[in-house]
Amino acid sequence: MAVTLTNVFTKTSRDRWKSTVIGAVTLGALLFFGMAVYRDIDVSFWDDLPEAFRNMFGIPQGADVGGLAYGAIYSGYGALTMAAIALAAGAVSIAGEEKNGTIGLLLGDPISRTKVFLEKAGSLIAVTAMGFVILWIAAVAAPVILDVDIGSMNVDALLVMMFINALFYGFMAMALGAWTGKTSVAIGVTSALMVVSFIAVGLLPLIESVAGLARAFPWHYFTSSDPVANGIDWGHFAVLAGGVAIFTAVGVVGVNRRDLRGQSTGTKLIDRLRENPITHKAAERFAGTARVSRIWVKTASDHQALLFIVSIVLFVMSLMIGPMYNMLDDTMARLSEQFPEDLLALFGGGDLGTPEGFYQVEMFGLMIPVGILAVTIAIGAAAMAGEEKRNTMGLLLSNPVKRSTVVLQNTWTMILYAVIAGVVSFLGVAAGSLVGNLGMDLVNVAAACTLATLLGLVFGAIALALGGATGRTTVAIYGSVGVAVITYIANGFLPLNENTEGWARLTPFHYYLSSDPLNTGMSWGNAAVLVILATIGIAAAVALFDRRDLRTTG
Amino acid sequence: MTDSVAIHTDELTKHYGDVRALVDLNLDVQRGEIFGFLGPNGAGKTTTIRTLMDEIRPTSGSATIVGLDTHTDSVEIRRHIGYIPGDLAMYPNLTGKDTITYFANLRGGVDWGYVDSLAERLEADLSRKVGDLSTGNRQKVGIIQAFMNRPEVLIMDEPSAGLDPLVQRTFQQMMKEVTANGSTVFLSSHTLSEVQRVADRVGIIRSGHLVAVEGVQELRSKAIRRVDMYFDGPAEAAVFEGVGGARDVEVRNHHVSLSFDGSMEELLRAASARYTLMDISSQEADLEEIFLTYYREEV
Repeated sequence: MAVTLTNVFTKTSRDRWKSTVIGAVTLGALLFFGMAVYRDIDVSFWDDLPEAFRNMFGIPQGADVGGLAYGAIYSGYGALTMAAIALAAGAVSIAGEEKNGTIGLLLGDPISRTKVFLEKAGSLIAVTAMGFVILWIAAVAAPVILDVDIGSMNVDALLVMMFINALFYGFMAMALGAWTGKTSVAIGVTSALMVVSFIAVGLLPLIESVAGLARAFPWHYFTSSDPVANGIDWGHFAVLAGGVAIFTAVGVVGVNRRDLRGQSTGTKLIDRLRENPITHKAAERFAGTARVSRIWVKTASDHQALLFIVSIVLFVMSLMIGPMYNMLDDTMARLSEQFPEDLLALFGGGDLGTPEGFYQVEMFGLMIPVGILAVTIAIGAAAMAGEEKRNTMGLLLSNPVKRSTVVLQNTWTMILYAVIAGVVSFLGVAAGSLVGNLGMDLVNVAAACTLATLLGLVFGAIALALGGATGRTTVAIYGSVGVAVITYIANGFLPLNENTEGWARLTPFHYYLSSDPLNTGMSWGNAAVLVILATIGIAAAVALFDRRDLRTTG
Repeated sequence: MTDSVAIHTDELTKHYGDVRALVDLNLDVQRGEIFGFLGPNGAGKTTTIRTLMDEIRPTSGSATIVGLDTHTDSVEIRRHIGYIPGDLAMYPNLTGKDTITYFANLRGGVDWGYVDSLAERLEADLSRKVGDLSTGNRQKVGIIQAFMNRPEVLIMDEPSAGLDPLVQRTFQQMMKEVTANGSTVFLSSHTLSEVQRVADRVGIIRSGHLVAVEGVQELRSKAIRRVDMYFDGPAEAAVFEGVGGARDVEVRNHHVSLSFDGSMEELLRAASARYTLMDISSQEADLEEIFLTYYREEV
């Protein structure tokens, strides 16, 4: 224990290693899982796929079982997961210490800001590297144990590129956090770039006229050289490593140039409006009295920024998919004939040559549920665990309100916000269908959005129950996100093998993705299952929160 | 237990795993009194308060506030109490006024005239965000929300943390006023001078056990006194150390000072047998000395 408190480097590593190890071990396990499923099925269909699509998944020409597993699990989800973990760690490096109010104490010791930054940067590299050692062990062990021939695949090259890719986003978040002192800015901007560039690098090469634009997105320098087949492209590596170096310099300058922030939340636009005599009255009504009228209203106010961002993203993307479908129409029609149904099942199936199928794969398969889950899980985790983490639950409950009231009022907000996100998605898809003149059945679109909303509530309820049971935000967030990732992937892979097909019914995603609502309309049975699951989660949250001692973080 | 009891605990016990944070606490706090609850860090003060507030549940035993069970009637109880938790945390993005409004809404209304008068007395700025306030100014918001509903019982854990001496005085005056109007104050504090100034009775807790409950005046009058004596010539410590009840004898030439809880007559006899006494002064021990004595003796 004492060794880990020797300096900033070891202390930071001590605080951060867990999420990296959990992420890496989960990915390693998924690799085994994916490889085991692929081993037992005919995978030759992959060779018929167009190159652009395989690049999106990072799957090389002539790939066999190993290539598919490495491609789907490691270069797709794995790269995103490891980059997201590095990003989260980077964002709190400097800004997190400021938010916690510990930076002053830390810098009360004879250590410069530059040194603090660099030691934290070193820790980020070391902890991320540790995660990749775990991934490497799994990558080497899985084919041996499962007796799969991986041929001449260059797993080392893939992992090196994944590593530098993860560091790129980690250091970007760290630099932004150091420059602004705000974790929200660091996380928001970096994750937006990461997600947008992941999608852009997947989609842009499908359109010949704009294929070159993919170079503008950092994810291009990770996947486009196809490292698992071709080895490391040192030029691409240098681009990402150069980014890391630039972010380091920016971070050092950033943390030295400004006043450190206290625990103050800063002055926002709404605060200025409240101070201004002209706008005072209106702003006060909106931001002051109104937002503290009830627990659920305050919860809504606390999460309105997140809902706003998610709504914008879902609406704009849903809208854009419509015209994009028209641009890709011919390509898609050809693609859909070659596309294996099994693979599309991961996104809920569908014929890519139809607007419904395209929307299913592009929006309903992953984007919309991720957006809604982000909102519901954030509310579910903050409801009890967040309040306890901030030490305000005792004060809140000194008022004459029942613990169950706190749970239920937060639940109302969660339901309201999930519905809003669902309605916004509906409006986006409807608008996209209108703009692209696709003539989709709006009742069916509403059915798909309803199922997505209910799916969001299931995982929000899981976060709520975990927070209610433990009072720990980390358990609530990692637990619910972990269950979501594992059940999503399991729902995609289990049906690939006849023997495991039935098990997919155990995942909530089965009841969201299996019924093809865009073509067949509402599946009331599936909706009922999701409602029951969410209700169980909420009931568990009430019961578990009511019976235990409140936590204090002090 | 009668109606005159505001807070009653019956063999209240709380264990955290193997740690016995609170053991068989039996305590009655009378209506209309200020009860000081003293003890060193980790003695069980906050555990007691959090159990009373139903934040945590007793391992065994029970407690009532204004005759209602702290667990089964906890929501009803909270209509009658004001509370300041130790290590007070509030919502950093809300202003003081927002915070007060939020809790007022949860309690079903508040007298804003009274809130304003409290804010004025404490010189609290309710227009600023809680996250921008210093510890003391944040504490003022906590005090206002605890007092604002004119509660029957005020339960406060280290309420004066960070307050400047002037505001502390105002706060003490406020406590006296509400008890004069029939409210009860349960005050956990390290600021012993404050407890001495306002409390009618104190309870002293050590390692989860209640070791003393007594009126502040009785405690002080029974306790060790500080005695200073001045003689016409140099004195020797040994003369006084031999007297029963004397301790910490310090001799500085003509001046002898000692702590004393024995017979004053015996002390005077011993002194005047050897020297000529020029002057003598005797002070009641303050709460701090009593407090320290309890711990020295029982550790």
